[in-house]
Amino acid sequence: MSEKIYACLLRLFPSHFREAYGDEVLQLFRDRTRDEKGFFPRVRLWLDLLADLAISLPRQYHYVRPALTGAAVQQRLQGAPAFFVLTEESPGSAALILGSGLSMIALSLFSILLGHAGNHRPLSASVYQRGHATDSRRSTLGHATGQAPGDAKDVITNASRMKPGEAKPNDSQSKALLPPDSSRFPEALPPQLQDVAQRERLMNAVIDNLKKHYVDPEVARKTGDALLAHKKNGDDDKATDGGAFANLLTKQIRDVSHDMHLEVVYSQQPLPDLLPEPTAADLARYRKALEQDNCTFKKVEILPHNIGYLKLNAFPDPSVCWATATAAMASLNHADAIIFDLRDNRGGYSSMVSLISAYLFDHPEYMYDPRESPTPHSWTPSPVAGNRLADKPVYILTSRSTVSAAEQFCYDLKILKRVTLVGETTRGSAHAGVFHRIDDHFGMGIPEALPVNPFSKTDWEGTGVEPDVKVKAAEALETAQKLAEDKLQKK
Amino acid sequence: MPKRKLDPLPSAAFQILLALAGEDLHGYGIMRQVAEQTESRMRLGPGTLYSSIQTLLEAKLIEELDQREDAKLGQERRRYYRLTSGGRKLARSEAERLADLLRVARARKILRGDYV
Repeated sequence: MSEKIYACLLRLFPSHFREAYGDEVLQLFRDRTRDEKGFFPRVRLWLDLLADLAISLPRQYHYVRPALTGAAVQQRLQGAPAFFVLTEESPGSAALILGSGLSMIALSLFSILLGHAGNHRPLSASVYQRGHATDSRRSTLGHATGQAPGDAKDVITNASRMKPGEAKPNDSQSKALLPPDSSRFPEALPPQLQDVAQRERLMNAVIDNLKKHYVDPEVARKTGDALLAHKKNGDDDKATDGGAFANLLTKQIRDVSHDMHLEVVYSQQPLPDLLPEPTAADLARYRKALEQDNCTFKKVEILPHNIGYLKLNAFPDPSVCWATATAAMASLNHADAIIFDLRDNRGGYSSMVSLISAYLFDHPEYMYDPRESPTPHSWTPSPVAGNRLADKPVYILTSRSTVSAAEQFCYDLKILKRVTLVGETTRGSAHAGVFHRIDDHFGMGIPEALPVNPFSKTDWEGTGVEPDVKVKAAEALETAQKLAEDKLQKK
Repeated sequence: MPKRKLDPLPSAAFQILLALAGEDLHGYGIMRQVAEQTESRMRLGPGTLYSSIQTLLEAKLIEELDQREDAKLGQERRRYYRLTSGGRKLARSEAERLADLLRVARARKILRGDYV
């Protein structure tokens, strides 16, 4: 009996010790029990054994076999990680079954998680919820990097012109904001199109959105009727995939409405769901990033012949950058001419356009913005106290990358005959619509405001703003400097 | 490892080396010999005994002999251990170290006596 108890206690020792000395330990135990008979010797024997266990057990578990330590040192010297088998016993069948079961569970969990990760949209898409709609959930897509997250005017650039190949390197973010172009996934056949009922549901959602949000209800009604007529004629049957169907609907809508800003968008990737409004922390981060970038006021200097030069890479939010902007303009106040370098300007806030333009006039001027109905910010806050630039010659350097709010600056000041544009034709991104999500793969852009252009029937959408003096972007500064010098000398 | 484990030499390991200095012994024999030479002050438990034997074997201070019976203890075959020359050398140097200590102790009048 006592030997059995001791044999059980012996199991506390590590297996390598039991294998090597288990039998001899038990033999020694038997020897002692045989020789140490009587109550006291037996008590002493057990006290000895328990004390021995207390001392030798920890020592055995700290024991590292020299063969292993030797190997470990060698492996580490070679710089490679190594694994050691600390016991030669093969695991029991129960342990093997449990282990394989747990591995299967872990693997399936991992694959499920991976599947869900595929639906996750990165925050960098900067898609923020604006309000709620009943049938189509509505998201907005900002399209210029100068815009604050969530504070951007609801805009989506005309995706039909923004093919990936055309995207400029400095426009990578605005590319990321666009739904993936349908033409890249021609073979994709989304589940929506697999039966007629789904297709009908999609079309009804498009018509509902038009009627609810389009700026002209009469055109919306006519367009909806046309779409239904096309469906009746079976015109939609030739659309073989999501992209083709979206393009077809877009064409049908534009044929009737004559509004090139209306469009149906298909994305093979699930479109972003509603995201929460940006937090105070997001906004603080945005402000900090802008401030660190000096509000994109890259260079403010006086060139030879007292020509003021301002390189501005965006039209940033005046609520953050008012001080930077006014300081920059103040430092050029005594210049005899001004050159605005917008060759790398990626757009931003029309309120900043008005703020800077204010220095170029001695009276308020209306700065037309095709993206929004007039607001108090649409007029320049002119005259600016102490400003001496209102009658100085102004040159704007442009390139094919000059886009969005920068184009508004060029367009309005050119039409007002206040500036000379030098460089290349600008990108040509004027219009915007609010993006309405229909389902995971379809959405549509609908202009909700069509402000009257007081200057002209057309703006720069698709065509860009033509420069007055056409030169390569790289030569624009030199050319503008010469023009300014000539003009100043004539004076 | 064994070097570190045996430097300084634990008293159990030293006692085992001393026990084996006279003759080859099996585990129980070592235990009894140690008890005898320490006047029962040290009774090596099985865990301590075989842990020490394991360490000494790895340091090649003792070696394992073929199994054989001990006539006094019955028919069971037992594993015997023998002191190696390295073990003997180590035991001697340890004894000399202790003798030096003893001399110091006597010089400091901590211990009386005139032998060693």
